[in-house]
Amino acid sequence: MRVAILLAAALLHMGASGGLGVLSASRAPGAPSATLRGRVEFRRALAAPERRPAVSDLASPAARDLPDRRRAVVYLETAPRGAFEDREPQRARMDQRNETFLPNVLAVTVGTTIDFPNNDSTYHNVFSLSRTRRFDLGRYAQGRSKSVRFDRPGIVRVFCDIHSHMSAFVIVFNHRYFATTDTEGRYRIDAVPPGTYTVVAWHDGANRDTRTVTIPETGHVELDFVVP
Amino acid sequence: MRTVALVLAAYGMACGIASGQVLPSEPVTFGDGRVVVGGEIAASIAPEDTGFFNYSDYEHSTLRELRIGLSASVRASDRLSVLGEIRTENFERVTPFALYARFRPWRDRRFDIQAGRIPPTFGAFTRNTYGARNPLIGYPLAYQYLTSLRTDAVPADAEELLRMRGRGWLSNFTVGNLAAARGLPLVTAFSWDTGVQVSTGWRTLDVSAAITNGSASNPRVDDDNDGKQVAARVTLRPTVGLVLGTSFSRGQFGARPLVDALGAEEGRRFMQRAFGADVEYSRGYWVGRAEAVMSEFRIPALAPPLVPSPLRALAVSIESRYTFLPGMYVAARAEHLAFSRVAGTGRVEEWDAPVTRVEAGGGYYIQRNLIARVAVQVNRRDGGRVPRATLPAVQLLYWF
Repeated sequence: MRVAILLAAALLHMGASGGLGVLSASRAPGAPSATLRGRVEFRRALAAPERRPAVSDLASPAARDLPDRRRAVVYLETAPRGAFEDREPQRARMDQRNETFLPNVLAVTVGTTIDFPNNDSTYHNVFSLSRTRRFDLGRYAQGRSKSVRFDRPGIVRVFCDIHSHMSAFVIVFNHRYFATTDTEGRYRIDAVPPGTYTVVAWHDGANRDTRTVTIPETGHVELDFVVP
Repeated sequence: MRTVALVLAAYGMACGIASGQVLPSEPVTFGDGRVVVGGEIAASIAPEDTGFFNYSDYEHSTLRELRIGLSASVRASDRLSVLGEIRTENFERVTPFALYARFRPWRDRRFDIQAGRIPPTFGAFTRNTYGARNPLIGYPLAYQYLTSLRTDAVPADAEELLRMRGRGWLSNFTVGNLAAARGLPLVTAFSWDTGVQVSTGWRTLDVSAAITNGSASNPRVDDDNDGKQVAARVTLRPTVGLVLGTSFSRGQFGARPLVDALGAEEGRRFMQRAFGADVEYSRGYWVGRAEAVMSEFRIPALAPPLVPSPLRALAVSIESRYTFLPGMYVAARAEHLAFSRVAGTGRVEEWDAPVTRVEAGGGYYIQRNLIARVAVQVNRRDGGRVPRATLPAVQLLYWF
């Protein structure tokens, strides 16, 4: 958890300063760039979050989907200066389906609006108490959706006020040099300007692996991570 | 106890302020998720309740306690689980609150059998006694307030019953156990009954029924009177956010020594019947609940002026919660507990003193699972030594 706080602080710092944590390389159209790609492996088995023991219930709880906890986010901790320019408003989506947030990790850029549609037959109440973005969407039924715009970089933990086992992360970046891993742990960040960068693989709020990499003018670089 | 609670509160506050989410929020799991352990800690502080409005017995006020609960579920197979919970109040002793097996014979059919010390079938609030589900600090009168009736003693006549009006926290009668002890609530939220429960459902309808050892007011681990409680509950969800419920319970509440002393025929008269109706509606930032519990207590009429049968009590409560900012809400509950009238020697009065209570307060989520609450409870009673009490209270609640 402390790591998550440090990450959040670093992201906030990057966003606030605009100079610190930013390399001198700037990116112009047609400028040289390469692809950073690789895999993120987990040192230990990742269990899906369980419900609290439903001792006071009169019957078994309804079946639900288990979130895929293998999704990590890989990002440049020190991004090129030009990375903070030419942001376009983005839109993303985090479903609520079978009492699970899908995806349970969503990485977006500052200014992105995320839709939270409810696809379950019961109410959900999406909220966050994170300092980066504090919100409460209230209770709404199946077929309805509510949205939140994320205007500050950082980590946002998202919960459901009704279902305590539902949780997710929204990671808000000030630049576009990040990627979320697929189900096999692979990631790919395109068009990275040449330079030397600190790259972080972040997982589940608590674990991360940091590496340094030098990006050439063309081609690709393989960089694998192992998170605790 | 108060010092411990304050230290806990201060520590929790400090942790919460330091970060958005520091304390763990997920239950602890073992054995590839087969064993899940959750917990809840609630520290409540309030001034002395000299009117005993919030006491669950002579020693314990629900507004002044440190309650720690640990619950666990062990999944033996896809169809069989064992669930349990232990609790302690003020570190005095650890009590097994629940311990039962949950069996689902058909994996894809909503049909469950629960056996052991099982959750209450009757009522809606019994499943909201967990801190996170109760928007306020106090408990509703129907589930906590002690009437003067007891399991092990009985008034000789109606006048003796009337003399105990408003003294349920420590009542005494001249037949049975002569020592003063706490009376019975209409339905207790502080212990669970032992028996077998069956639940099933179709679409928006859920039905549960149970046979247990005790009664709604006096749940038991062992059977002390050869009488079984039969309880049932039906809930209907006609639309998302609306829950309509109705409950019924019938069980003997007289303790064995008293039943034996009075003889089999009189002993069988210690019967409680309870009827409940409840509704919950939520939408947006609002949650509203209303519940009515009507209880009929039958006790032997031993001498004139005779105690009429049954003695009725009706508790009605309505509560609402509104979230006005992320992590901040206000809530209020208004309720009244009324009793049927009894003719004593030269007077006709309710057999226990009617109580009206209004509790209002709010909560602040320091973290998702760490809540600071403040509430003010105003109690009025038509009888007893202390007829009024205004009680401010604060609570810190943590769960995982």
